[in-house]
Amino acid sequence: MKLITKSTYYFFIFSIVAMVGGGVFLYFAIRKDIYKQIDNSLITEKDIIKDQIEQTETAPDSTATFDHQIVVNLLNYPVHKLQVIKDTVLYNSDLDDNVPFRYFFYSDNIINKNGYTISIFQILSEKQDLLGTISIYMFGLFLSLFLISILLNYLISRKLWSPFYKSVGNAGNFDVLSDKPLDLPETDIVEFQQLNNVFEKMTQKMRVDYLNLKEYNENAAHEIQTPLAIIRSKMELLMQNKNLKKDSLNLIKSINEATTKLFKLNQGLLLISKIENLYFHETRKISLKEIIETFLGNYREIMEIKGINVELEVSDNAIVEMNEVLADVLISNLISNAVRYNINNGYIKCHIDDQYLIITNTGLPLKTDPELLFRRFYKVSDNPQSVGLGLSIVKKITDNYKMKISYSCTDNIHETRLSYRVELP
Amino acid sequence: MKILIIEDDRSLRMSIFDYLKMEGHICEVAENLFQASDKTSINRYDCIILDIGLPDGTGLDIIKELKKNKAADGILILSARNSLDDKLLGLKIGADDYLTKPFHFAELSARINSIYRRNSFLGLNEISFNEIKANTYDKQAYVNEKLLNLTKKEYDLLVFLMTNRNRIITKESIVEHLWGDEVILTDSFDFVYTHVKNLRKKIIAAKGKNYIKCIYGFGYKFIES
Repeated sequence: MKLITKSTYYFFIFSIVAMVGGGVFLYFAIRKDIYKQIDNSLITEKDIIKDQIEQTETAPDSTATFDHQIVVNLLNYPVHKLQVIKDTVLYNSDLDDNVPFRYFFYSDNIINKNGYTISIFQILSEKQDLLGTISIYMFGLFLSLFLISILLNYLISRKLWSPFYKSVGNAGNFDVLSDKPLDLPETDIVEFQQLNNVFEKMTQKMRVDYLNLKEYNENAAHEIQTPLAIIRSKMELLMQNKNLKKDSLNLIKSINEATTKLFKLNQGLLLISKIENLYFHETRKISLKEIIETFLGNYREIMEIKGINVELEVSDNAIVEMNEVLADVLISNLISNAVRYNINNGYIKCHIDDQYLIITNTGLPLKTDPELLFRRFYKVSDNPQSVGLGLSIVKKITDNYKMKISYSCTDNIHETRLSYRVELP
Repeated sequence: MKILIIEDDRSLRMSIFDYLKMEGHICEVAENLFQASDKTSINRYDCIILDIGLPDGTGLDIIKELKKNKAADGILILSARNSLDDKLLGLKIGADDYLTKPFHFAELSARINSIYRRNSFLGLNEISFNEIKANTYDKQAYVNEKLLNLTKKEYDLLVFLMTNRNRIITKESIVEHLWGDEVILTDSFDFVYTHVKNLRKKIIAAKGKNYIKCIYGFGYKFIES
């Protein structure tokens, strides 16, 4: 949930609670006040009638209008003094309905004589109408206040937080590979300024760290090359020595294997760092068909021996703008994998249209998640000579050209799908 | 063959020197541009192995100088892997071939031999070993004067083995020779095995002897047993 939604949400909840609470309170307060007024006027009325009774010892005439009735009874026996005020309803024949009234009852004795009762009925509906009207206005006022404040809160929050969202958005687009500045928005809010400073410092640090690491990797790979070449050349000299015993030959063999592996690793890593450094930046239009045919030709004899059938479905305008070396590395890795992990009497199908290069080949079922194959140093085969860099280099190259590559395997059919952008000739 | 090795790294220089001497060549060495041009101005060589990156300049200058003097020395450039520019430039101004470092000695030997054959006035386009003959001009191989029906890779393999006879040739160097640099990342040793097996079969079928000896774990040796 976005912060602005969240704050608006909380504001909404609290406003509702406050307004409903306040509304209820106000309703009852006004109601109480109205009742008090009615009751006071009833008591005043009673006092007037009482005075009249006590002075004249006669009862005033009972009056009965639609909204007000007074009934006075003089009794010929003494009563207890009693005063009751309560709500009641009276049946109104005109309306054919019960109408709410405030009922006031008073009984007392004229000094040392007989008692009397005063009953006064005061209609409530008018007052209740008033209460209703007040409530409606109040509700309207509250509602508009409520809506205005939510809207204001939303707008203000949005304005206040906009530099924050911009900063976060720009920081999210940060790419350690490019040296573009972060472009954080100016703001006069101290907290956001702090945040921007932190972003700035962090990304600078990341960039510096990344460059250092990259430089280290390149240097290491490059510096290892020469001693490795020397080891290998000395070893090749050594293995030609005719006086070697079998034990020594076996030792050299192990050294040779390890050295070869180290070689491949180093070459692979060097290649990756060269790709990362845009060493292969020169591009030209390359016909995928030509490359595929070249590399299939490279393995033609092997495929004949293994009984692998090749089907080629290639569109002539499958032209891609990329570096020649990288295109060779990309295609040769894909083709050689398709050949090497194939089974006897299997097949390889190459399909190229304007969008995809799809290589389908038979092979043994894959036991692992196909996506893992693109990871560096991930090995499926138990071949000790495999260094597990081939497909990660492929991935690096496709990433470099913003192509998409995916690998899937159902039973013994493997499919490599490369989505490339086409430059029409 | 008389060979000049121009290479600044002492260890590598001496290794090349030792190996080529073992092959029976007469070798001289130079460790920088100054020594190199000193030697090339006086002597003629069948092949010059030239490292491009020298401490006192680029090896390309030697090529220019030689070509200016119309010297016919064969030139094999050595350079760091993937320096495509050096490669193209070197070949353009007159080098005969190009080999990226690090390389296998078997490959170096094959390249030198190929340069020598191409440059020699005698038209040495034939490599032979007892009953086996390979004609590098029309790329055909013969056993007892009978044409062998070899595929291109099998022919390349045979020539590679014959030019490196009596030496252990590692599987790695065969892979690089047959398939080039691009496949370095995948291991194709089983392919080598298949090609060797078929080549051997075809030679024996043509009543040739089996000279291809398997050196277990390393690779192969072309030798009269």
